[in-house]
This record gives sequence, C-alpha cells and structure tokens, in this order.
Amino acid sequence: MFRSLPARAALATVSLIVALVAAVAAASSSPAQLPEILLSRQLAEQAAVRPGDTVTIAAEADGAAARQFRVAGIYEPTPDPVRFTSRRIEARLHLPDLLAITATPGDPSSTESVRAINVKLADPAQADAFATAVTARFPGVISRLTARAQDGSDPFAVLERFHLAVAIVTVIGSTAFLLALMVMRAEERREIVGIVRLIGVSQRFVLLVVLAEGLLIAAAGAIFGVLVAKGAEDGVNRFFQWRYDTTLVFVRVTARIALQSIALAVPLGVLAGLVGSWTLLRRDIVSLVRR
Amino acid sequence: MSAWSLAWRTVTHNPARACLAIGGVAVIGALLFNMLLLSRGLLLSFRDLLDTAGYDVRVLANEGSPIHRVPLAGAPSLAEEIGRLPSVRRVALIRTDSAVAMPPGRDGDAVIVTLIGSTERQLGGAWDIVKGATLPDEVRPGEPVPLVVSTKLAARQRLEPGAPLRIRVNLGGGASVLPALDCRVVGIGTFTFESADDYSVATTMQGFAAARGAPKGEDEADLVLVASSPEAGPEAAGKAIAALRPDVRVYSNAQVVEQFNARAFSYFRQISTVLSTITLAFAFLLVATLLTMSVNQRLGEVAALRALGFPRRRIAANLLCESALLVGVGGLAALPLGGVLAIVLDRILRAMPGVPERLHFFVFEMDMVLLHAALLTATGILAALYPIWLAARLPIAATLRKEIVS
Amino acid sequence: MSAPAPIVEGRDLTRVFPMPAGDVTALGHVSIRIEPGEHVAITGPSGCGKSTLLHLLGCVDQPTGGTLLFEGREVGALSESDRSRIRLTRIGFVFQRFFLLPMLTAWENIELPQAEAGATKSERRARTRELLEYVGLTERLDHRPSQLSGGEMQRVAIARALANRPPLLLADEPTGELDEATGEQIADLFDRVHADGTAIVVVTHNPVVAARAQRRLAMKSGSVVTG
Repeated sequence: MFRSLPARAALATVSLIVALVAAVAAASSSPAQLPEILLSRQLAEQAAVRPGDTVTIAAEADGAAARQFRVAGIYEPTPDPVRFTSRRIEARLHLPDLLAITATPGDPSSTESVRAINVKLADPAQADAFATAVTARFPGVISRLTARAQDGSDPFAVLERFHLAVAIVTVIGSTAFLLALMVMRAEERREIVGIVRLIGVSQRFVLLVVLAEGLLIAAAGAIFGVLVAKGAEDGVNRFFQWRYDTTLVFVRVTARIALQSIALAVPLGVLAGLVGSWTLLRRDIVSLVRR
Repeated sequence: MSAWSLAWRTVTHNPARACLAIGGVAVIGALLFNMLLLSRGLLLSFRDLLDTAGYDVRVLANEGSPIHRVPLAGAPSLAEEIGRLPSVRRVALIRTDSAVAMPPGRDGDAVIVTLIGSTERQLGGAWDIVKGATLPDEVRPGEPVPLVVSTKLAARQRLEPGAPLRIRVNLGGGASVLPALDCRVVGIGTFTFESADDYSVATTMQGFAAARGAPKGEDEADLVLVASSPEAGPEAAGKAIAALRPDVRVYSNAQVVEQFNARAFSYFRQISTVLSTITLAFAFLLVATLLTMSVNQRLGEVAALRALGFPRRRIAANLLCESALLVGVGGLAALPLGGVLAIVLDRILRAMPGVPERLHFFVFEMDMVLLHAALLTATGILAALYPIWLAARLPIAATLRKEIVS
Repeated sequence: MSAPAPIVEGRDLTRVFPMPAGDVTALGHVSIRIEPGEHVAITGPSGCGKSTLLHLLGCVDQPTGGTLLFEGREVGALSESDRSRIRLTRIGFVFQRFFLLPMLTAWENIELPQAEAGATKSERRARTRELLEYVGLTERLDHRPSQLSGGEMQRVAIARALANRPPLLLADEPTGELDEATGEQIADLFDRVHADGTAIVVVTHNPVVAARAQRRLAMKSGSVVTG
C-alpha cells in the first residue's frame, strides 16, 4: 500500500462528513442528475437518510465548496478489527468527486493527491521486492505490505499471546482444583479398592480401571466443554456486535481449536485421575480397608 | 471449639487436598486480580505519562482528532497569546513528522523515525537526556541541525553524541523530494511516548523547519502544550484559552484520557469485564464443587453431629468458615502471584506496535485489592450456600441408617 | 408421693416411610415409657423397627402418627432448634459406627458438645478429664480416631455422649462392630453408667448386652411383641 498525502486531504477522508446536511435540497439539479454516493449503515441511521435522498457534502466546517449527491445505497462497512471501537460514520464516492470536494483552490496538485494506492500483485510472493523497488524509485513514498508481519509484532499476534497466557493460567488453576477433586474421589473409594484388592484383584487391574474411568470422564468433560464454548460463541459475538455496532466476529471456535482443547484436556484429566489415585495404588491392602 | 477452629482442623486434616484447593483459588484469584488491574491500568498509566511531561493542557486545531491532527496555523503568535494569560505558566509548540534517518555513508542503516520539533530544549518528561547534552537555545547559521536521538535509535545506528546523522522528511505529494539535511547528534535520551516499533528524534523548531525545507521557520504546530499555573489549574487555564481563541480545541489531560478511555482503551475494559466474570464464575463453580463433595463424604459425621444436638446454624457456620478459609488463604496468596503474572502479561501487551514503552496495562491500585477481596468473599459465601443447604436439610435418621448400611 | 414422670414416653407411635415401590410402615402403633434410671434393651430381627424407634425416642426423627413426650413436653410441638437443644443437653447418643470426628483428638471429641452447650473452658477441662478416666482412656487423650482401636473409639463415643450429663443415653448397636471381648467391656461400661443414675436404652443383637438390661423389649415387624 502506498501512502502519499497532504494533511488536509488526509483529514478529509477521516472526517469527510464534516457538514452533512440530511435534507432534500431544493437543488438546481434534479436528483437523477446528481453524482452518487454510498453511505455507511451507521451514518445513514444517524442522519436518518435513505437511498434516493439528496445530501450535501463539504470538507470544511463552514460548508464552503459543498456539493450535492444522491444517496445510491447504504452499505455495511467491512469490519475492521483495528477500528472496531470507532463508530463507522463514513461514505464512499467516486474518486473525482472526492478530489473535487477536498482540493485546495489554486493548487493543481491537490486534485491529483491521494492518501494511498492499493496494489494487487500478479505474483504476491514478490511483495517484498516490489515494495523495496518502489521505495527506491520514489523517495518520500512509504510502501507497506498488507500481509501480517511475521515477527509477532502485529497487534493480533500480541493479543493472541495475551489470550494464550490467560488460557495457560486458567488451565493451571483448574488443574489444581481437578487434582483436589481427584484426591477426594480416591479417598472416597479407599475402602472399595481395599476390598477389591483383598479378594485378589491385581493392582494392575485397578490401575487400568482408574485409567479407563479417567479417560471416559476426561473425554466426556472435554467434549462438553467444547459444546459449551460453541454455545457461548454465539452469545459473546452477539453481545460485542451489539455493543460496538459491528459485524466483526470476535470469537470463533474452529475445529482446530476444539481438537486442541480436547487434546489438552483429555491427557490432563487422565493424569489428574492417576495422580489422585496414586496414594491408593501404593498403599498396602490392610491400611486401605482399615477404618 | 469455635466454628473457625473446627473449620481449620477440617481443612488441615487433608493437607494435600487443602493445598491443591488453595493453590487453585490462588491461581484463579491471581487471574481475577490481573483482570481488575487491567480494567483501569491503561487509563492510570496513560494519565501518568501525560502528567510526567509537565504540561496539563493541550491545544489542537479545530479539525481532525487528537490522533489525526491538522496543523495549527499561526502557532507562534498563538503561543504568545496563550503565554500571556495569567493562568498559564509555560507554553511549548510541538511539530511531528515522519522522516528517514541515515548515518552518512551507511544508507543501508536508514530507518524511519518520528521527527519531533519543539520550542522547548528539553521537554521535561517527554524526553530525558541520558548521554550528551540537550538541544541548544540557538543554532548558528551554517552549523548542523542539533538532534537528540532515542537510546533505541542510537543503539541501532551506533550513534554517540557528536555523531553526524542525515534526516530526510517524508513530505506529501509524490513529486516533492527534499534533500536530506545534515544534522549532528548532541544528546541521547529516553522518549516517554516512543513505542516498541518506533524511533524518536527531537530537534529545535528551527531545525524542524529546515528539515521540511522552510528555512524561515514554521508557522504551524501540530500541538501546543500548556502548563497551567499552580494557582489556576488546568480547568481554569483551559477555559481561559478557549475563551481567548474559540477557533481551537482545548483539552486538559483528564479530557484526553477520557477520550482515549472511551475509544482506544474500550477493548481492554471489555476484555477485563468478560474475563473477570468468567474467572469468578469458575472460582464459584470449583469451590462449590469441592465443598459439596467434602460434605457428601462427611454426611455421617454431619448427621451424627446433628443427632448429638448441634443445631443447623452451627453446621452452616462450620461450612461457611471452611469456605472462607479456602478462599481467604487462596485469595491472599493470589496477590503476590497476581503481581508476578501482571509483569508477564504487561510485557506481552506492551509489544503491541504504537504503544509507548513506558505505558503499562497493569497498574497496582489499592482499590482493586479491596475489590478483589470483596469479590472473592462474595464468591466464597455463595459457593458455600448449596453445601450448607445440603448439610442443614439432610434427614438425620435416614442418613445414619444409610451410613451404617453402606 | 406420685411416681416420677417418665423421661420419654411414646404413645401410639407410627412411622411410615414413603418409597417409590409403596409406603413402608417401619413402626406401627407402638407405645413405650422410659423411666428415669431405667436400663432397657430393645431386641429383634433386622428390619423390625428397632433403630427407627430409637431415633424417635432420641428426637432425631419425627413420628408419622402418635405422640412423643420428652420430660413431659410434646416433642412434635417444639421447633427444630428446641429439639436440637434437647439432644445436646438431655440425650446422649452412641452409634454403631462411632462417628467420631476424624480430625479431632479423643479429648477434643469429648470436649466438643460441652463447648456447644456453653460450658466454660475450666468446666470443659474438668469434665473431659473426668470422662476419660471414667472410660479408662487417659493415656490416649491426644490420639485421633485413626490411632484408636474399635473398642477405644466406642469408649470415646460413650464419653462424648455423656459429656453434658444427659439423663438419657441411647445406644444403637454399640457393639455391632466389635468383637465379643470388647463388647463385654462396653457392656460393663453401660452398667457403670446405669449405676450412676443415667437411663439407658440400647438397641442390640448382642445377647450379653441385652442380658444386662432391667427390661427387654422384643420387636417384630414394627411392633413390640414382648416386654
């Protein structure tokens, strides 16, 4: 993406609708002859404007050099994770129309200045080399790749690490509790295990039973957990989409995430069961049955 | 024997179980504590950063936003007018732009920097000199433009005070290409607002103007920083400036913080709320499960105590004390653990591009400690309710019979 | 001179347990009086309602029909709090499975009901020492139940039951988990308790224990058939 921009034009793109008049003006041109504009859903709601209405756009607060447009349609802005807290008050118009509004009178170059040029390469693998070549040939022009940085410095990589750290802490905490519950469970069955050993069942068999039970419970628990997460996914997304008036998806429980969770939870559960039963398995039979 | 003593004996009778349960509460409690710190940490840290610079009012052009600034025209005369107000102690002009810094003969070491032009020689708190000298009052004609570079840039380009450095400003307009300006590093400093992915360079306003190809000086400023007089304070100074010049926007530090709080920090507040809620629900579920299992294992004992004449409220008090011990001891241990966790999480989040290195996401507040204690206490009480109900309502005779048969 | 009032009197007591397969009448129209200082044994086959009757007499359970009077007060009209108070201060209970608190020592198990009844520290100390001597366990006062034999645990349980000097001691199969010799020791202890003026009602299968009682009630199918 190239960036080369006078400051005034930059502000025009951000606060394009400085003076948006949401009224059907008694225009010299009929609505059908006016240039077209698309408004974001949020802007249309705020200004109570519908397709077919005529609006006036100016880049200056005093409304100088205002022009009229016909609202051709309402669009849902592409969700932008970096800007999801901002209310998407924006509009789209043809570039010549925008330049006509934002141009500085008397400065011919201002009608030819843009903030950015997006480039789609025939061979995306050449992006790095292409950006370097552009920078070399056009000093003062900054070229940035749109692909996420691989050095882990982009905001989403940082947030990913943050969430992973929180998840690790949660797993540690819940493992401690799980162990406590397994220890209690083992204590509950002390006498039964003692009786079973007394009548001749081997320690190995008891261990297998503990393992099998742990595996069943851990698998059932892990699957249940994934189902709960999937159910919560909808609730979380609805809440945040309502809160920030966006269509951005905040939580997505993918098959990969589900499998990763199960792959972590099941061995953890089995291990917790084994560790909890360890005291039973290594005690002698008499002490197991003694009250 | 009081309910506390009996609860203590019950909990310590199974040390492994108690340690694990308390450990679990401590870890979850640490996470809760961190989420509470996160809810206001960014706000507090940002406020501190702004206040550190020594200026408490900011003046911007009416257009744009605190992030995307339109330059203020006639900045020098504006600064003079503001400086004459009785509620104002000091005024500084700030300009920033993107530039490329290149050590002479080492074009391969060129990096993009943020060039800061200021009327202040040392923007008290905005940058602090660690080596060399600060910016001079005046630059004699023909002398290289003086620069203070950040420690990060100095390390990257192996710069020392006195070293030459060439600066080329990236101006808009594809066709305009300014020649690089010959500068000299006079000092190396730490910049308060420099982020992990940024390099900062400060120079005089004169130097800044020269870099932008305006040898007669810059008439514009991106930002006017104002330090209010101690007697008046930022609110009074802000009002005076707004009255003097209604064509500009005036923000106190508190207002800037509020704007950022409403927009940029919103995500972390939401995350903090969501994770705090989940953590509390988690802790409630786990403590309740633990206590319920514990009661179920001791039904015979409970029935016997009831048969011996212990009233329901005494049984309830015992269980409440047990819950309080588990959650209380765990909650106490959560605080130092939470401190360590906060350092780790803070380090992760501060790697985010654009975040000043001195900004922290987790800031210790006594209020949060109290809130943490209150939330855990409430959780402990709620978690004990079901096991208390179980124990208090159990049919004594039937339970005794069942225990004997089993 | 009128005869002293019975400690506990049950008139036409009935206890029905609702079950999924149909109601079970564990006790049907049983009337019983326990006089102060009396030693009564209740015997009968398993499931005849012995323990159910004991639970009713001990105010641990409520009859479905009939009236229960404890020291002249109608138990059914009392609040749960009042019934708890009666169990704490007027009745001592000894269980088949001892039900000592495993985390407390012998001393602490005996002291616990006294503290609940409001005795001062010095009173508790004196009474607990007295009871440990009474049951012959002074050298085991710091031992926890897991460190005691079955007989020793039952003796601690009896001491606990006597902690608040109740006029009535109820024992449900007190020798059920003990060997014959130990059972005899427990029976001897009950004799001492009875000799000191405490009324005892013991439910038992043990003929040795039953033989020590002044009066024997035989039960069958929820009714008293002899005694």
